[in-house]
Amino acid sequence: MRTDASVHAVPIPEGLLEPALTVGKVTPGSLDDQVLAFPETKPPKQWYLALAVTLTALGIGLACIGYTFTTGIGAWGNSSPVFWAFDIINFVFWVGIGHAGTLISAILFLFRKRWRNAIARFAEAMTIFAVMCAVIFPLIHVGRPWLAYWLFPYPNERALWTNFRSPLLWDVFAVNTYFSVSLMFWYLGLIPDIASMRDRTTSKLRKTIYTVLALGWRGAASHWQHYEKAYLLLAGLATGLVLSVHSVVSFDFATSVVPGWHMTIFPPYFVAGAIFAGFSMVVIVLVVVRETMQLKNLITMRHLDVMNKVILAMSCIMGYSYMMEGFTAWYSMNEYLHHGFMNIITGTYGWAGWITISCNIFIPQLLWFKKCRSSYFWMILVAIGVTIGMWFERFVIIVISLHQDYLPSAWRIYKPTMVDFGILLGTFGLFFTLVLIFARVLPVIATTEVKAILPDAQPSHGGSHE
Amino acid sequence: MSDKKAYAVLGLFETPDALMHAIPKLRAAKLGTVEAYTPYPIHGIDEALGLRRSPLGGMVLVMGVLGALTAFGFQYWISAIDYPIITGGKSAASWEAFIPIMFEVTVLFATFTAGLGMLLLLNRLPFFGHPVLSAKAMKGITRDRYALALEAESEAFDSAAAAQALEAAGAVDIEVLPAPDRSPFLTSDYILRTLGGIFVACLVAGLGIFSLIKWFPLLAPMKYMQDQPRLNAQKASTFFKDGHGMQPPVPGTVARGYLPTATGTQDASANLVNPLPRTKDVFAQGRKVYTNRCEVCHGALANGAGSLTAAYGAKPANLQAQQFRDYPDGKIYWAVVNGKNAMPAHAAYLTEPQRWAVVHYVRALQRAQNATDEDLKVVAP
Ligand code: HEC
Repeated sequence: MRTDASVHAVPIPEGLLEPALTVGKVTPGSLDDQVLAFPETKPPKQWYLALAVTLTALGIGLACIGYTFTTGIGAWGNSSPVFWAFDIINFVFWVGIGHAGTLISAILFLFRKRWRNAIARFAEAMTIFAVMCAVIFPLIHVGRPWLAYWLFPYPNERALWTNFRSPLLWDVFAVNTYFSVSLMFWYLGLIPDIASMRDRTTSKLRKTIYTVLALGWRGAASHWQHYEKAYLLLAGLATGLVLSVHSVVSFDFATSVVPGWHMTIFPPYFVAGAIFAGFSMVVIVLVVVRETMQLKNLITMRHLDVMNKVILAMSCIMGYSYMMEGFTAWYSMNEYLHHGFMNIITGTYGWAGWITISCNIFIPQLLWFKKCRSSYFWMILVAIGVTIGMWFERFVIIVISLHQDYLPSAWRIYKPTMVDFGILLGTFGLFFTLVLIFARVLPVIATTEVKAILPDAQPSHGGSHE
Repeated sequence: MSDKKAYAVLGLFETPDALMHAIPKLRAAKLGTVEAYTPYPIHGIDEALGLRRSPLGGMVLVMGVLGALTAFGFQYWISAIDYPIITGGKSAASWEAFIPIMFEVTVLFATFTAGLGMLLLLNRLPFFGHPVLSAKAMKGITRDRYALALEAESEAFDSAAAAQALEAAGAVDIEVLPAPDRSPFLTSDYILRTLGGIFVACLVAGLGIFSLIKWFPLLAPMKYMQDQPRLNAQKASTFFKDGHGMQPPVPGTVARGYLPTATGTQDASANLVNPLPRTKDVFAQGRKVYTNRCEVCHGALANGAGSLTAAYGAKPANLQAQQFRDYPDGKIYWAVVNGKNAMPAHAAYLTEPQRWAVVHYVRALQRAQNATDEDLKVVAP
């Protein structure tokens, strides 16, 4: 059933041709040798050095958590009226970082953006690690983490049920669902790759581990059929999650009556911010991975260029949201809202407000220039700026709104302690430790997915080309 | 090889094109079920192999809807029936608030159906004992080779004919996969070994935890508010000699505001001086005390004609009498504190300033009832 070649004879204009997804000659075999060989080789010295640094950070964080538990919650800077401070700031920050992974793996998959295949695996892994970092904060903030299961509605001897009208409970469901779905998505994607590693490794221990993890995957066509369907469905489901999880997180604030929180713009504004922060983190990590793991032919400059464009677009949405906040404060003629907004730009924490605005709105404008989008220096500068800016954005939203609300007699300046910073540092340590370990033990690039889009990977005739 | 039953015959192809060409030929030969093994999904192979559409979409839809209904029912039952608590002034059954969790549970149900349904139900994984997994060709299949297998459908499967057909279709490295002697799963010794393993693991874990608890002192993970130095009820104090946690006040202890009262005789108190200044506040307080405490007996004008007088028996003193107008402050104070004859002592009811304030007020009443022209003169400010 060979299709007549003349059907394809209409030449596609040069500019519309999709540029190659990889650089140089890449075959399925060479791809395996390049990507799957990593876990089989001994890690270089730099890797151990990096691991030592991240483990130190993690250790500091654990020590600070231990100190909090043995001393009491007074070790943190939280105090009336700022009862929610670093914990919720860091929680929102990390959950946000996770969103890039889901966006890349799910939404771009639905849009058939095939370039995503090379970076999806790493981004998904980062999602899972980021959510793990995020969950630490509510867990320690409840005070007795071993009773955290009280958050779930389960029949208990106290005859109590949870309050389903509370956005905090919605959060419990949203974050747990998010983690489960991300993990499922990630693992499903890994199965065929692990099967490849199982069949190529010579070490007995690795073979055993990979055999179990691959679940006996054998690449049968009848399996691929269900597998592809499942992947498509999961992508669709995860897409809804990208939009819902951070919306629900924003409800924690938006459904309260605190001036500066009680705004309908919060859900979309939070989602955009999350993607913004997440993409920046992905850019930072990808640049490092691309350089240190010699993956330049698979993670190309084009990937980074596209990622930077997304960051730029999100930055513009953020700018619009900030302006909308000011507009709402002015147009509402509500003096509390007005006071809250003025606090952001002129108050005691005005510096934090301006760090947020500069890092999130002004600096990313550099990405309008192709030169900046293709230079490591500039894109890393922007990405680190955005990471800092987005952290401060949550600081602004939470601390500035809380430290001065309706009751002037209760106003107070919030000061974080070293323990607060230590725990934040600890989560960075955890995140990068997991990233480093992941990079050494599992395929950092979804080889199966990349194989499927290599030139000549698909039959040249007939068949359904979606 | 012919004496052993074959599960399938497998042949390799170099390119996806070669694979796709071979499929219709082998299917036409009708020697066995044709199955392909590839490193990644190949477009159009489902139709070529005549596979039925994956039912996963329908399964996910059903489970998703079920998830939504479950979440709604659960929340409704808890919020409106089992544990109705009004929050935010909303009706207990206000369903709008249930939507976020309904959404999350829908996604959760759908995800697990898609993921686990695909793996466990449709693909029947994990399955570690499939004959293809031990084929020599497996190394290539998960890398860059494309395999076709003719799988035995019945006893009559002819592996030699199948190998020939594969070769004719262009396959290389043809191998015959022997059928496994026994099902690799759920044999009795497999089950026994698994159960035994679980038992041993539990035993080791239990003994480990037991010895840990026994040999290491239990460290309190954190400070509870209830764990602080204090004396519990029915426990003897080790701090006080008599073992009581609660001690009676030291003799001579004075409660706040209840300074030593005038003891001794009324005459001895004659020269006590009223320490309070004569200010509006003091008079206001004195008046309040008088109305509350003295008026019933001594009357609003302090003339001894209070509302209680008739029923009382004893006659309260007429404080407007010359005798009492000539009294020094100290003697009135003494009478208030200690009482006199039928008049009760007021020490227990009035604080020191209140006692002196009422003295001032009695003085004011006396002066008001015996005003002179002098009193009408406005005092220069
Ligand atoms: C239960 C009724 C009663 C109340 C209440 C009462 N008194 Fe008397 N008071 C009497 C009687 C009866 C006497 C006459 C006692 C006697 O000399 O037999 C008296 C006597 C007095 C005397 C004269 C004492 C003396 O030296 O003869 C003074 C002064 C006086 N009262 C002030 C007060 C003041 C001030 C109050 C309010 C704090 C007060 N009383 C409340 C019943 C009362």
